[in-house]
Amino acid sequence: MAEEIRAPLAGNIWAVLVEAGSKVEEDDELVIIEALKMENAIFAPRAGTVSEVRVKKGDKVAEDDVLVVLE
Amino acid sequence: MRPYFEKMPGFGKELKENRIARTQESRARLEALEAEIAAARKAKEGVGLPAAEINKRGALTVWQRLEALVDAGSWHPLHSLYNPRDNEEGTTNVVDGLGKISGRWAVIIGFDNKVLAGAWIAGQSENILRVTNLARRLHIPLVWLVHCSGVKLPEQEKFYADRRGGGTPFYRHAELEQAGIPIIAGIYGTNPAGGGYQAISPTILLAHKDANLAVGGAGIVSGMSPRGGFDVAGLEELIARARDIKERPPGRIETHYGETGFLSRVYDDEEGVLEGIKEYMRAIPAYDPMFFRVAEPAEPRLPAGDLYHLLPFNQKEGYVFDDILARLVDASEHMEFRPGYGPEVYTGLVKIDGMLLGAIGNRQGLLPKGYPEYADYPGIGGKLYRQGLIKMNEFVVHCGRDRVPVIWFQDTTGIDVGDAAEKAELLGLGQSLIYSIQQTDVPMMLVVLRKGSAAAHYIMGGPTANRHNAFTLGTAATEIYVMHGETAAVATYARRAVKEKDAGKPLEPVAQKMNEMAQKYYDTSRPAYCARYGFVDEIVNLAALRGYLKAFAGAVYQNPESICPRHQLMLPRIIRG
Repeated sequence: MAEEIRAPLAGNIWAVLVEAGSKVEEDDELVIIEALKMENAIFAPRAGTVSEVRVKKGDKVAEDDVLVVLE
Repeated sequence: MRPYFEKMPGFGKELKENRIARTQESRARLEALEAEIAAARKAKEGVGLPAAEINKRGALTVWQRLEALVDAGSWHPLHSLYNPRDNEEGTTNVVDGLGKISGRWAVIIGFDNKVLAGAWIAGQSENILRVTNLARRLHIPLVWLVHCSGVKLPEQEKFYADRRGGGTPFYRHAELEQAGIPIIAGIYGTNPAGGGYQAISPTILLAHKDANLAVGGAGIVSGMSPRGGFDVAGLEELIARARDIKERPPGRIETHYGETGFLSRVYDDEEGVLEGIKEYMRAIPAYDPMFFRVAEPAEPRLPAGDLYHLLPFNQKEGYVFDDILARLVDASEHMEFRPGYGPEVYTGLVKIDGMLLGAIGNRQGLLPKGYPEYADYPGIGGKLYRQGLIKMNEFVVHCGRDRVPVIWFQDTTGIDVGDAAEKAELLGLGQSLIYSIQQTDVPMMLVVLRKGSAAAHYIMGGPTANRHNAFTLGTAATEIYVMHGETAAVATYARRAVKEKDAGKPLEPVAQKMNEMAQKYYDTSRPAYCARYGFVDEIVNLAALRGYLKAFAGAVYQNPESICPRHQLMLPRIIRG
């Protein structure tokens, strides 16, 4: 089942650590958002395969924007 | 209470391969900085005369004395890089740390007899103040290796007088003795004037046969006939007097052992003095550690080496504090206090070497949605909010009631600010935490993992704002300042930038000033700077942190001033509910 991983807050994409097809474990880091003067890691909520990455380094994101889709 | 402690809940996650790969550079930077600190420490150990020169004169160096005195593997140096008055010698001329002698913990300090024969120099009294405070707070003996030639005369104005000046160790020794804390001194070399008081003020005096302690040394006595100036005739008289007094200087062993009887024992060789100290240390009151252990000691289930991949060198990068703590405590087990409340802060009970301690630390990264509950902005770890402040207040109060010593871990950018934060009472709650800590009267230590900043550095067990902080450690990632340099530059120059703009003047000079200020903040917050000026008592390798935690636990439970029976502890029951 596809699960959309969303930005918990607005910020800039500092790093994208996965790509489509990446297999991830629960708590693996997916994306790092720079916000509130910190680099905030977004973690995988469960194990799975990344089916889609919708952001790239340098993008601005708003709260609730989809970052990654996890199968 | 055995079921509470024998097997506590495990915590901490295994390190993942992708994190190891991603954090190689961070690890390298941490290790490089640790290597720099080690090199600076080594250089400081070598200042003054070479050891061979001291040995040729029939004496050991302070380092050789420590090596022979302290139980193998138990030495935990403190103030290695401390030199707050920028002495040209690069040292305060005392060496100190925590160590075991005859199996018992002591605070140990010795004059560096390689440098000016162990003279008083600037910053030394501040160093000794830290050491006497440490013995007082841990309630363990203070052991002195006295070898002190007295004041470095050309610079006496820097440290002789003043409320915190060179004489303060003498009344501080008296205070320790009033509190039932013995001071055992091994006395070597010539100790005139201030050196004489260093030698006489401890509780038990053990001396080498060639030692000397006097109100005034030969140098002073032979120069006590001033004519209102110096001329050749006067110098001839002085030379004759000096030659005579060198033969029989005041304060000889025959006087203070045979006549005054100040000295308890005198030994023919250097090692004998150290053996005497060991014998007296065996005679001090000290509980067997089993008396206070709540469980068998156990190493952490998760390895300390992981710390280099868990604590990012990059100050902006978040991490999981619980994973770090799990690498420092027995069996990687804990009992967390109020886990769902105040998510920016960890509070819980842990075991170190089988003994119960409280742990408090900043969590990092994004906080759950809706927190802080009083504001419409997101919460971020490292900052303190209402619930976290309340939780820390509660936890330390319970630790005080249960007589549980506390280890603080700081990585904090400060307390939340703004109108909503003021209405949420954060100012009062921060000060309440200082009050709560002071009320506990239990020993505490602090590890500044990365940032120690703003009032949060004070209220989270910082050495500045309570009497219970025994010592503070830093790491290769530590930085301590009132606020980030860029923030300080904005606060200082924002109005000026507006004025310059309105006046039609170029803004480049203002920008340059701001960059200079930010750079100064950076330079004056580095680990070596923090150690040199006493913001921390030592910079410690991540892999060595647990050793200091064990030293703290062993010291505070050696002969505690007060006890809570383990079956009357409330905190474990409150946590279980």
